[in-house]
Amino acid sequence: MEQPAQKQAGTGLPGPYAVGRYAGKLQEWMRERARVQLIGEVTGVGRSKVQAYFELRDADGAIPCAIWLNDLEKAGLSDGALRDGAEVVISGGLDYYPGGGQASPNFCFRATHVRLAGEGDLIARLDALRKQLRSEGLFELQKQLHRPRLPKAIGVVTAETGAARRDLLAGLRRRGWGGSVIWGFAPVQDRHAAPAIGRAVQDLAARPEVEAIVVTRGGGSLADLWAFCDETLCRTVAMLRVPVVSAVGHERDKTLIDDVAAVACSTPTHAAEAAVPLDCLAARESLERCAVALRRSGEGAIGTRSRHLGALARGPARALQRERTALNQKIREIRAASERGLSDRAASQKRIGDVVLERARNRAAGADMEKRRADLRRALVALRAHEPERTLERGYALVEGEGGEPLASAAEVSAEERISLRFSDGRVRARPEPDGAA
Amino acid sequence: MDESERDLSPTAQPDSYEAAVERLEEIIDRLDSGQSGLRETLDLCKEGRELVKYCAAELDEVGEGLKELRLDDLAARLESETT
Repeated sequence: MEQPAQKQAGTGLPGPYAVGRYAGKLQEWMRERARVQLIGEVTGVGRSKVQAYFELRDADGAIPCAIWLNDLEKAGLSDGALRDGAEVVISGGLDYYPGGGQASPNFCFRATHVRLAGEGDLIARLDALRKQLRSEGLFELQKQLHRPRLPKAIGVVTAETGAARRDLLAGLRRRGWGGSVIWGFAPVQDRHAAPAIGRAVQDLAARPEVEAIVVTRGGGSLADLWAFCDETLCRTVAMLRVPVVSAVGHERDKTLIDDVAAVACSTPTHAAEAAVPLDCLAARESLERCAVALRRSGEGAIGTRSRHLGALARGPARALQRERTALNQKIREIRAASERGLSDRAASQKRIGDVVLERARNRAAGADMEKRRADLRRALVALRAHEPERTLERGYALVEGEGGEPLASAAEVSAEERISLRFSDGRVRARPEPDGAA
Repeated sequence: MDESERDLSPTAQPDSYEAAVERLEEIIDRLDSGQSGLRETLDLCKEGRELVKYCAAELDEVGEGLKELRLDDLAARLESETT
């Protein structure tokens, strides 16, 4: 139902009350709220004659705080401990100063005690954050990104004047890497640090040439490193599409950014090795070895095969020579064997001939033996018939000279001084006398 | 073509240093195995030399001395160029 035009919004509410009285009631109501402890980072510290005031904040919000100076003294903090950037735990409750005719009202958390946040306080907060981010799967996203072994350009987020910068550069140079380093300088320890670091990593990730990002700072207490546990920063890093290498604090320190980063390193030097995994000096040596191996393989393949081909090409000539040598050897052997064979055959044939002749002779001898014996006997009879002995037996005498030679004429006898008359039964020596003297 | 030959078929221009090195190691292993014939050996050597050249060029790109740039300067330069 439409309201009448003259009826103003809110006129149906209770009141109007006098503001001073309302402010007093508000103060009472606030002071009745539960007293609690808060933890956060101190910023904007200031002092009046009676109290110190500051803001206590974290990534999600802030609240104005105040503490009476006498309560601050009772807290026993060292001089300057309550300073911008300090992580503190305060105890107290809500308070409201209603102001007055001349004084401005003021709302604050009235701290009655303050102490520097200890490791335990921060670790408890860190554990809660870690549990939350892990449950959302934010620890795995960066680890799934590809990290190039040889990036041409890397981004680095660190303090401009820190030792981490120098150590990182030294680590990169030691690997022989001479690419581009794009510095995203940012504070690394105060309430401005986390937002600045977050902006820097986002700006670096937006540059197409940046292939990896290093976030680094030197060591310190967990409170000093607290910016790197900032939830917003860590969520930002987890969602980047460029791998982030974290190297915050020393080895024992474990910040939340180490959990969400692609790689967590203990020192800036190690971060250099993780950002540029390839040792360029060693890679050059390895590449040279590869080049040599390839050259050898190529040359070896050709050399081996050309030697093989050469051997094959020489094969026929060698085989021919081998065959020729074998043939000559055979010839020599055959010749020797032939000569031996001829000799043996000649001897054999001679033996055979001898045997044949012997056999023929024997055969011939056997067949004519009787005839020959008969002829022989006849010849012997005829021969005996002509022997001088047969004539002598018939009474004749043979005249022989002194030497036994037959003397067949008177002249021969006359020429001899002594002669021998041979009869069949013996000899008679005689002296011839000339025929005229008788 | 057997399995090993199919695995070792030449690749196009490598898209990264690590891809080139990985392929180069495959080639060296294949050559060291002594199982490649003359034609394959010569092809692998040729491909290997190209990869070595590529890797050397990649190393040369980051071998001329470290260059330092500031993100602020780059952003300012980009801003001035756009305006």
